[in-house]
Order: sequence, then structure tokens, then C-alpha cells
Amino acid sequence: MHNVGASVRRGGGYGRVTGHQEYVADIKLNDVLYVKLITLDVARARILSIDTSEAEKVPGVAFVFTPDDLPKPMPRFGPQFQDRPILADGETKYHGEPVAAVAAESKDAAEEAAVRVKIQYEELPNGVFSVAAALAPDAVLVQDPSIRPAGDPLAHTNVISEKHFGWGDIEELAEESDLVVEDNYRFPMVTHFAIEPHGFMAVPEDGGVAIWSTIQHPYLLQKMMAKMLEMPLSKVRVHAPDPGGGFGGKQIPKYEPLVTYMALKAGRPCRLVLSLDETFQLVRRSSAEIRVRIGFDSEGYLKFQDIETNFLVGAYVDIADRVVGKSSYSAAGPYRVPAVKIIGRTIVSHTMPSTAFRGFGIPQISWARESLIDEAALRLGIDRLEIRLRNLARLGDEFIPLERADGDWEQTVRTAAKRIGWGDPLEPNRGRGIAVGLKSGPTTGLSYSTVRLLFDGSAIIYAGTSDMGQGARTIFAQIGADELGVELDQVRVVMGDTAMVPFDQQTSASRSSVLMGTAVHRACQDIQHKVTAMAANLYGIDEEAIKVEGGVLALRDREVSLIQVVQEALAPLGGEVIGNGEMRKNKDPNHPLGGTAAFFEFNCTASEVEVDTETGHVTLIKHVTVGDVGRSLNPLQVKSQDDGAAIQGLGHTLMEHYIFDDAGRVRNIGAIDYRILTSMDLPLELHSESTENADGPGPYGIKGVSEGSLLVTAPAVGAAIREATGVVIRDLPMTPQRVWEAMQEEKK
Amino acid sequence: MNKFEYARPETVGEAVRLLEEYGSDARILAGGTDLVIELRNRWTEPKVVIDVKRIPEFASSITENGGVVSISAGTVMADITASELIQSRFPALAEAAVVVGSVQIRARATLAGNICNGSPAADTSPPLLVYGAVVVVAGPSGVRRIPIDDFIVGPGKTALAPTDLVLAVELPIPEGAFGAAYTRLTRRRGTDLASITLCCGVDGDGNTRLAYGSVGPRAFLEIDDTGILADPTVPIAEKSEALDRMFHRASPSPKSLRASPDYRLAMLRVLGARALETAISRMTKELVS
Amino acid sequence: MSDTITIEATINGRPRTLEVAPNHTLLEVLRDEIDLTGTKECCVVGECGACTVIVDGRAMNSCLMLAVEIDGADVLTVEGLETEDGLSPLQDAFLEDGAAQCGFCIPGQLMAATALLMHNPNPTVEEVQEGLAGNLCRCAGYEQITRAVLDAAKEALDA
Repeated sequence: MHNVGASVRRGGGYGRVTGHQEYVADIKLNDVLYVKLITLDVARARILSIDTSEAEKVPGVAFVFTPDDLPKPMPRFGPQFQDRPILADGETKYHGEPVAAVAAESKDAAEEAAVRVKIQYEELPNGVFSVAAALAPDAVLVQDPSIRPAGDPLAHTNVISEKHFGWGDIEELAEESDLVVEDNYRFPMVTHFAIEPHGFMAVPEDGGVAIWSTIQHPYLLQKMMAKMLEMPLSKVRVHAPDPGGGFGGKQIPKYEPLVTYMALKAGRPCRLVLSLDETFQLVRRSSAEIRVRIGFDSEGYLKFQDIETNFLVGAYVDIADRVVGKSSYSAAGPYRVPAVKIIGRTIVSHTMPSTAFRGFGIPQISWARESLIDEAALRLGIDRLEIRLRNLARLGDEFIPLERADGDWEQTVRTAAKRIGWGDPLEPNRGRGIAVGLKSGPTTGLSYSTVRLLFDGSAIIYAGTSDMGQGARTIFAQIGADELGVELDQVRVVMGDTAMVPFDQQTSASRSSVLMGTAVHRACQDIQHKVTAMAANLYGIDEEAIKVEGGVLALRDREVSLIQVVQEALAPLGGEVIGNGEMRKNKDPNHPLGGTAAFFEFNCTASEVEVDTETGHVTLIKHVTVGDVGRSLNPLQVKSQDDGAAIQGLGHTLMEHYIFDDAGRVRNIGAIDYRILTSMDLPLELHSESTENADGPGPYGIKGVSEGSLLVTAPAVGAAIREATGVVIRDLPMTPQRVWEAMQEEKK
Repeated sequence: MNKFEYARPETVGEAVRLLEEYGSDARILAGGTDLVIELRNRWTEPKVVIDVKRIPEFASSITENGGVVSISAGTVMADITASELIQSRFPALAEAAVVVGSVQIRARATLAGNICNGSPAADTSPPLLVYGAVVVVAGPSGVRRIPIDDFIVGPGKTALAPTDLVLAVELPIPEGAFGAAYTRLTRRRGTDLASITLCCGVDGDGNTRLAYGSVGPRAFLEIDDTGILADPTVPIAEKSEALDRMFHRASPSPKSLRASPDYRLAMLRVLGARALETAISRMTKELVS
Repeated sequence: MSDTITIEATINGRPRTLEVAPNHTLLEVLRDEIDLTGTKECCVVGECGACTVIVDGRAMNSCLMLAVEIDGADVLTVEGLETEDGLSPLQDAFLEDGAAQCGFCIPGQLMAATALLMHNPNPTVEEVQEGLAGNLCRCAGYEQITRAVLDAAKEALDA
């Protein structure tokens, strides 16, 4: 076994450094029509008329697609609720909702036509753009009750659902508390900003349809389109090339239905590749307002937590209700807490729909909870690291009913504390913060893999995971290479085609090394069993007497490689050995989330900052993030993901946010006025480390990675700023202006 | 983008003739870092785009003649940053040029383009004001020279007529000791548009020239000849009133995306003080040497 | 009004004659007309650097150039980095040091890095960060990319 655990070269790396890799936008289909979306510069508007006559005259225009071209009532779709219309249905519900679309022979023609489509509309007042506005008794309903589920008691509100979790009696524990602290925190709207914008293509095919998409969940897309078009799954083929970054923003179908309907109308391929600006109006993280109330005894031990999370999810729910539920469930964090009460609300608004985003709802909630714990520590006079160690759940603790702490989290915290130099003297205007958080891995899962060991000793692995940079392709190749005794560069991994690759539920929640990794591992073991049987037959030995490990069979008196046996057994015709593996985590109807977490991603982040007290600029002196990963199958890839997550977390901590005007229009669409970190904005020192105790459920004891490092970036940095300046900030991002304003407030 | 004609004149005369013919239906293409964005967004829909990069006078050049440094209109920010002449004589301009965008932008963006675009947040405006730059302009009636303070008019507006073409920017080499520094306020350390641009220059006779932008319709130049600001022996805390008065023309817009008026006004003072100190220390070094 | 203009440019070492529309950017022509899709489109305002190419030895954003402007110029795109001798030292270093995650920003990073090392064969960490400051990466912490550039520089100097 020499590939697993090594930082081997990334699979698919060659294509990435030569420009040969084909992303969706690079794929050229013959006879394609270029699609351009038409949107209005307004949030809420009633559409009065769509006049396509001038647009249709533009040479090269095939047609202008409007709601009239779609079945009535307007088809709606979504992974949880079927609420998103294919085009705006009589009314735009957010700034950027497409009203119509042009299909033309060239991009130029599509662009010319798009500016000539005349839309008469009436801006509607009283748009709902905040939690308060949404919950006001006279609030306009963002979603018409007719599209809410039948019998939904909340249908006449802007609350999609309200979840209740908890245990114990918080009021009783409140009375026992020596200190109760309470505060409100806000987490802004931020966008994924993958460097590859979303892209979609569709072409009618032989009684079915072929779709290309930057989608992270090809099989979900396949299922939704098959249902929408009333076609069998076998006739809906989804091609999902490796996306150029996803972070959750490419999980759920968005414009595939539109492009597919257009292709069916045209009888030709249709292609829609978004601009970066258009992605801003397509995907974002669910923003939130969080009220937290926590009680402690005088020694800093937690007595209770009372948390109310209000997530503003946008005009259509997408996967946001799951974000709210799953994240609220563990809102109390990785601690031992006698009593907890959590209310989580999914609230709609006249803003672009939010979707999954790395960390789901955990960064939002952790921002509130960890900041408030610091407040308590300061008031009790207890060190902020110490208070966390006192309350941290230990390995095996049932810290949430039915869920057990699955790692030595204390070890991770101590590593982070040591690396940041917790307790060392600080220079002037500097401060340190430390925070802990966790996110549940997948609660259900289903991954299949097929592996083919070919006659010459090379291998092909089929795995339906989406490799969007996290390196799944490489991991599976490493597992296959080690389990079959194949050279790493002789392993091909095939992904991204539902017609060729067996089912995988989805790529999310850091699940792939664990779930698909297990499936691949089992497929390899299937091959090992088959080859063991071949060897028994070939050499006249009992199967039970043969031991197999990696690519080697231990016979009674000698060792022989897997491939040797295959070649002997299958000669002279040749052939191959095919193995299948499945990893299933079934839904548990008794569990509030549908299942226990396969694993937890636990993270401790510590940060040291220096603040320029005249300008509010924050310099990150040192930023440390440590995750409990079980085992790193590819340490370099793990570090890369952790670094990347930390940088992304620093984005929403220090500079990223949407800016809206009063009428709900986004004012800072695009790269010039939406700031993400560049190479010049990095911490002076960034350390990403892993705790590896091989205690995870995946092959070799792995757990999932890639979300941990941005879970608690904000509270760690916020606490550091607080120590440096004395100011408490409850709103993100902590831009220089905001820090400066907080310091001015403090002076008064 | 709309469909337009592309013209590539090979002489100044040809270019001016095209401008006379098309007037405001023409746009001049130098580095393109502003124009291409405008074209793509259809904020401008010209009949003709005039690419001036083949005109010999435009070729990147920074030359000194009789106490004046002339920067041709086609000189890009990268060349200004790399020029030893600019670094030694006009360091604040080099400091401004090096923060315009990224390496890629600086390989294209011209100094002339920066000032013709007329953004109140142009990084090069404050140093050009402090150094007393003069813009050399060609038009139908010949060549004329416009002091930079007259050249800059307002947001997107310069003193140029539609038939004019910038040929060069001239900078008189300061006589005697002169120290100047450029600074700006941004939202991140990485490439950014400035929320404040500021340049401060101090000479050996006690005069302070302070120019600032992005806090009003254009960059403004203020001069203090009382000697208070330039005096190295007076602690900075005692200069705050005098410094304050220099910013009287600042009127930052409450509608700005990049920074609030209060923050900008406060940072003007902070950055102004810092730039002043740097300028004084640079001037003092020159006096000594 | 003629619809296209004839230009001549050397692209990845190959002299080419192209008919381009005045209102098409260099990025569009590379990707859509001569099938060099290695150069990527993202922000189209010159902020992200995904479209970086090298023109006459300088790294530039092809999204902000009209195609006509490369008439007579020497253009290098990511496809031109690999030669019969194999991957360029930078490409190799990027692979070895794990600089590519999703890979979408990598062509631009490679071109900016190639241009940097052309002009500054022995850069410091700060110079690498500044040289690549116009290339956004959302996946990585930039560290692996920076390391790869420094390693490639060292390789070339040691050779």
C-alpha cells in the first residue's frame, strides 16, 4: 500500500495545466443555438407584456422563448419543494429572475436580440428584503399560497417551515445558571464566486435528451428532468464534466430545465453559459439572523443554550430548507449541554434564491454561538480556550440525542491552541481568537461503483462523484491502485456521465471519500474475491486458505499478484474482472434529519490579528485551522482544501457581501465591487493541519473533509479583533470601515 | 458590443481628421481597459473606434528635455513604474501607477487613458496635480498645452473637445528639494479601486501641495504656503487644523458603494497626515543629499 | 462597412491569418474561432485573470483586448507552453506541488507566472504574490501556486 496516504499527483492534473481539460463551456456541439437570458433591472415586478417582434427580426435569431412556450400551469421544480418556475411566472420575485430567453445562431445575434425584447412591467412595492419585513404581520407573501404544499399551515406566511430541536428544560437550567448572556448576530448574503460560471447545454436525442451541466449532482438532475419531461431515466443522459469550482452553488438544477425545453422546441442543441455577473443573481449562501441565549455556571460549564435561527433564503427554497434543518440541529455545537432549545426558520424573501454553500448553515450559526461564548468567558473571567475545553464533548459522548462525538476533539483544539501560541504575550494592537465548530456529514447516502481490472493490469474505475477540485478522482485512483496492485498512472477514473457510470446520490457534505470511497473499496474487494476464486480453481487450493491484501494473494507457499492470476486464468482469450461495490446509508424515519451523521467534520480555528486603529484595517498575522479528518488519503489535497476553505471563510469574515438598494436591486454585481481575497490578502502565516486517528467510517478510517476550515473562521477572527481593540462586532463582514465605525462607537 | 468600424491611423493628422469627421461618434482606443468594458456593457455605442497605438508619437516613451519629463500618451503604467527617471524624479507617480489594477492591467493601461477616462478615483490624478503636470493636446487647430488642474473637469469629463487627442503628459522636474508620496484607501490589499486617492508633496521652501480624489466630482489640489504643514519640527498632532482645512472641498457621496462619507472624511485626515510625514521625510533626504 | 478585418499574428509559434470582427475580443476569438479553449472566460472586466495570455512578452487580459489589436503581435496561450520536450518547468511544478484544484484559474495563473519569470527569473515570495495578484483563485489558498512558481524558478536557475 503506497498510494493511500501519499500526496500523489492529482488525477486530471495534466489536463488542468495544459488547457486541454474540457469544462462545459469548452465543449462544442454542432449546430448549436446560443441562449441569452433576459432579466429586468428590478426586484419585484408584475410583467405586463413581452414584445418579441423587434428581437425576432434580428438576423440569426431562431426564436425568443417566453412563458407562452411552456406548458400551463408553469412547470415548477426544486429538490425539496416544487416552487421554482422555469421562467418568471407573471411576476419577477427577485432582481435577476429570467423573464424570457433568446436562442440564436451566434452570440452576437443573441445579444442583439436580447436588447430588443421589450418588456412592459410594473414595479411592485413592499418587497420583502429582510427577516423583519418577512415576518411582519402585513408582509407581502413572497410565495403565493397556491404553490405551497397542500395543507401547509404556514402557507399564508413567509415562513416555509419552522423546526424545533432540543432536549431538556432550558428554563429550569436558566434558573440554575450563574450567568446568562444573550445577543443577536447577523450573517450577510455572500455568493460562491466559482471561477467557472455555470454552464448548460441540451440536445434532443433518440426519444430522450442529453444534457451537459456544471452540476455537482448529475443523478439528481437526471431524476428531476426525467420526471419533468416524463421520460424514462434511461433516455435522459447527463454529462457532468469536472466543474471549475462548485462549493455547493452547482449542486441543484437551475437553468437546465429552461435550456432543455428550448432545445426540444428547437430540435437542436441549445447552449447557455452564464457570465460571472449572472451567477451573482443565481446563487448565494442563506443569510441569517441568529439570536442566542446561553447559560453558564460560575466555573464556565454550560447549562443551557437557547437558539433561534432565522434564515433568509430567497424567493425559491432550492435546498435551503435542508440547510436550515441540518445546521440548526447541531446549533449548540460540539459541547456537552444539559438543555438545549433550538428554533430554526426557513424564510422566503424577494432576493435571489440561496442554495447550498460550503458549510451549509454552520458558519452562520457558529458566528453567533462562538461569539457569545467569548462574551461569557470574558464576563466570567475564564480563558476563552479553557471555557471551550471544559465544555467540549469527548469521544463517545452522546452530545446530541442519537449522535456521538466521533473523534478526539480535544486533541484538535490543543493542537490549534499550541500552533497559534495561545497565551503567549501579544504585541500592541494585536489579539487572538479561538473557536470550535462542527458540521454533520451526510445523513443518508447511496453510492455505487464499478471497477474493471483489465487484462494487462491496468484498471478503470467508474464513480459518479463530481470532482470540482477537491480531488475525488485522485482519491479513488489511489484506493484502486492500492487495493488491486495497479500502478497509479495505469488507473483511469470515469465520472460525469449517467449513461456510463452507476448511480451516486450526490457530491456534497464532504461525503465522497467516505461514501463513494467505500463503494470503490468494496468494488475492489469484489474483484479480490473473484480473483481469489480463480486462484483456488487454478491452483487447486481451498479459497479459505488464500489471503488477499492489496494486489497480492498469499497462497500457502508463495505469493502471487492479482493480475498474474487473472492473466493465467483468462488466457488465451483475455478479458477482464469486473467488481461492483455499493455503500448505502439508509434513511432513518425516526431521526429528525433522516439519519445520523456518517461522521462529523470538527474544526478548531485560531487567529491572531493586528488592527490599524486609525483606519480599521485588519492584518492577519497568523491563522491556524485544524480538522479532525480520521486519515488523509492525500495529504496535499487535504491541505489544499483546508487552505482554500480558510481563505473562503476569511472572505465572508472580512470583505464579502452583497450590497442592495432599498428596492432590492443588487448594486455590486461582478468582480469589481464584490471583493474576494487575492494573493495579496492572505494571512502572513496560514497553517492547516489535520488530526489523524483513523477513527472514521470510511476506508482506512477516513472522515470527510473540505468544509471544516470555514466553519468558525469568522468568530475566531472576530474574537481576535475584539481582544485587539475592545470592540464587539455582530455583523459581517468586518471590513475596515465597519471595524473603524465600531471603534468610533466604542469611544462615545 | 455594437458593430463599429475600426480605424488605425498612422499619423496624428489622420487621427485628428477622423475625430473631426466623427466627433462624439468616435471613441479612442489606447489600452482599452476602460473602453472595452464600456463597449461590452453598451454604455457607449460608437460608429468608429480609433486605435491610436500605431501612431509613432504614441509609442511608449519617457524622455527628459530641458527640465521637463515628457510621457507619451501610449506609455503604459508598467513602463512608468519601471522607469528609473520617474522613480527618482516623480516617485509619487510611480507609486500611483503601480497600484492601477494588476500586472495584466498595467501592461495595457496608459497614463493618458487614465486621465481621459475622467474618473474622480483615478490613481494618477493626485500625483499629476501635485507635480503640476501639463497635458499636451492635438486638435484641428494644432497643438496646445493644458495644465492638469484645468484638464480635469468632473466625473467622466475633461477639457478635451471631441476632436482632441492627447499626445503626451509633461512633468516639470521640481527645482530644489521636493518630497512627495502617494497613498490610497482600498477595501482590500489586493487590486482595488480606491475609495480615497491622495498625494502630498512638500518643497524646501515650506510649501505643501496636497491633492485628493474619490471624495467628490473630481480630484482637487490644495496648496498651503504658510509653511506650517511642511515644517518637519512641528509634531503632526499640531498640524491637524491646518490639514483639516485642506480637505474643505471633499464631499463624498452617500450613495457610494465603496465607503461611507464619514469614513472617507475621517480617513482623508489619517492618510493625509501619513502622506505628509512621508513627503517631509523624502524632502528632507533630498535636502541633505 | 466591412464585417471583418484581416489580421496576421503569431499564435503559439504559428503564424496565422485571421478574419476577425472589430467588436470581438481576443478572448472570444481564441475560444470560439480558433478553438484554443484553454484560456478561460470569467469576470470579463479584467479582475480575475482567468483570460490571461502573453502578448509580445507581457501578460494581458484577453477579455479587455479587441482581437484586431493583436495584428502583428506574438501571442502565447496556455496551449503553447508544452513543447515536444514536454511540459514547461512551470507546468511541471504546478503538477508536482498540487497547485491545481478545480483547475479553472490555472491557465491564467500559468500565463501570469510564465510572464513573471520571463522578466524576473528569481522572484521573492512577495514578487510572486504581486505578479499573480491579478489572478483570482477561489479553491486554493494560493500557497501551492506560489510554491510552484518559486520551485520552477529555482529549477531553472539550478539547471
